[in-house]
Amino acid sequence: MFPRELLPLVAILVGLYLAVVALSYWWARRIKREIETKEREIKHRLYEIAILKEISDRTGYSLNIQKILDVIAGSLRQFIEYSAASYMLLEPSKIVFKVDLDQSVSPQFIKDIRGRMLKSLEALLGRTLTDMPVEETLTGAIMLDDLNEPAQSFFNIPLVIGNQLVGVLTVAHTKSGLYKEEEMAILYKIVSQASQAVTSLEDVVRTEQDKIAAMLESMVEGVVMTDRDYRIVAINPSAKEIVGYAPTGIPTIFDLAEKFKGMFDLKEKLEESIKLDKLLTLDGATFGDKYYQILVSPVKANRGAMKGQILGGVIIFHDITHEKEAEKMRSDFTSMMVHELRSPLGNIKKIGELMKSSKVLEDKEASTEYAGMLYESSSSMLDLVNDLLDVSKLEAGKFEVDKQSANLKELLVERVKFFDTTARDASVSLKVSIGEGVPDTVLLDAKRTMQIMNNLLSNALKYTPKGGTVTVECFLHTPGTAIGDEALRFGLPWFSDETQKNTSKLEKSVVVAVTDTGEGLAPENIEKLWNKFAQFTSAARKGADHKGTGLGLVIVKGIVEAHGGTVGVGSKLGSGSTFYFTIPL
Amino acid sequence: MTMMKKILIIDDDKIFSKILRDGLVAGGQGKYEVVTAFDGEEGFEVAERERPDLIMLDLMMPKVTGIECLKKIRAEEWGQDTPVIVETQLSDLEKMSEGVELGVRGYIIKSDYSIDAILRQVGDVFIQ
Repeated sequence: MFPRELLPLVAILVGLYLAVVALSYWWARRIKREIETKEREIKHRLYEIAILKEISDRTGYSLNIQKILDVIAGSLRQFIEYSAASYMLLEPSKIVFKVDLDQSVSPQFIKDIRGRMLKSLEALLGRTLTDMPVEETLTGAIMLDDLNEPAQSFFNIPLVIGNQLVGVLTVAHTKSGLYKEEEMAILYKIVSQASQAVTSLEDVVRTEQDKIAAMLESMVEGVVMTDRDYRIVAINPSAKEIVGYAPTGIPTIFDLAEKFKGMFDLKEKLEESIKLDKLLTLDGATFGDKYYQILVSPVKANRGAMKGQILGGVIIFHDITHEKEAEKMRSDFTSMMVHELRSPLGNIKKIGELMKSSKVLEDKEASTEYAGMLYESSSSMLDLVNDLLDVSKLEAGKFEVDKQSANLKELLVERVKFFDTTARDASVSLKVSIGEGVPDTVLLDAKRTMQIMNNLLSNALKYTPKGGTVTVECFLHTPGTAIGDEALRFGLPWFSDETQKNTSKLEKSVVVAVTDTGEGLAPENIEKLWNKFAQFTSAARKGADHKGTGLGLVIVKGIVEAHGGTVGVGSKLGSGSTFYFTIPL
Repeated sequence: MTMMKKILIIDDDKIFSKILRDGLVAGGQGKYEVVTAFDGEEGFEVAERERPDLIMLDLMMPKVTGIECLKKIRAEEWGQDTPVIVETQLSDLEKMSEGVELGVRGYIIKSDYSIDAILRQVGDVFIQ
């Protein structure tokens, strides 16, 4: 039997057992609750991360707050119950109101939340919004007229970006008593984090925009950017200067197109470029005295959600004046060559025509004269062809001189004699002046040196007016003294060469120069003298008043350099010029 | 008997000038008297002295260009209506338009036109 005295012990044991059971149940419950709380927290946290990630993924670097709100509103379903999730956004001229319905509600319900949201916006802003049109969009479930459940639960979250209220986000339900503080805190957190992200993104974008603007401002090329509707969104000072638009203010595309009148329809080209997604290169734009190549190109997003989409267009003004000038020089040169060949050829043809038809051949005197003209015309053609050959040899680096011991002094005197008649015809006095110390024989290519003298002398005589003087000079240069100083020491007329200052460093050589009392050369033209194309152009700019191909000096330089010497020019505008060259001893 | 017409050739290309003169004299069969000048400056002087009935004018010349010379002649009372035929090269088309403003009657392309063609052109000026 059960001993009575053991009863209290049993009671204690039972009590203990019950206490342990109760305690463990309590513990278990507590742990379970804790786990549940943790789970919920984790779930919320995961939701937070997921939604923020989704926002950043779907919107990329977009600053489109509406897009961000669409993402938030669309994701709320995973997290809270609602009849309607909606937002209102303040835009400059309207209010965007978007509602996502999870269940069918009555029109009155929508009207209700719309009114409440507007009121809270007004309260937050401190001004009325009654005059603003509201653009309403409904998505999700449909509205049903026969329902009559009002919004019983309602929660508003203001949207603040960069310290400015831009709208409100609202959840509403027909059931009452929903939306506890805890849930709302999380929603609040998400919205505020998204807002912060947009705010800081705006800062970044603004900084980047400033950088781009600074870059655009400092660009030499004119740049104009438009949006998809061909509205100009940016134009740099260069572009304004090029088209001659005031530095302040932004022109419209029509203003800009007006400046292109007579060239091409800029707006049409821009439309074509954007529509066909094609880069257009347009030539033939001139503003002032400059030539521009106009590049019209679509601008595409190259990253983010908009990747590949056309954002607008860009117009770039590329200055091609230099290229055009070079091109013109080349074509002027070619037409000059053609002209120079056509003239004597045309003359030869006409001489033949006259000899055939008239009685030239019966007249002894006339026959001789015509034969002379034929000789002269064909010689000038041959000279030109030879010059062209020389130049092409020079350019190919295949020009060679045949140096032999020769009497330079004699050669110069002989050349002066040869030009005596020409000088007398032009009423120009032609002299030769040879300084002391010039050796009797110099190693040079006599034929080529004659060619140099022919060029220099015919030029000098051509450019010297009646009554002027052309002097051929020859003296010895010793290192340490400038050539000009040496000439002056010998009492020779000399125009100093400003472009070549260190003639004193030249090795021991013979200097030959031709000084005239002609019109002289402007410093900017001196540089061009030795250029195949430019020399001609500088003459052409003076009104085409001097014929000639300008190849002569190019060849002179080539011959002198093949001898190891240097060429130079000194000149004073209105007084005369000195062309000189050296032959090293 | 028809009056002799005096033609002034202003051209720095001495060979062309000689050919043209011989061609005009021979082809004109005694109708044309020809005088010459070899640059724009001389051209104006000779024109002023000789008062020609027609000027054959080269455009590309040293010192004073053909256009400048023609402007000077047109500025004088005696030279306002003197017919002018401009001698050009094909590449001078731009300058020819300048010539039109100065009342140029015709043009010849130097290396292309035959003596016969030039004679016809000159004859046309006097028929008008």
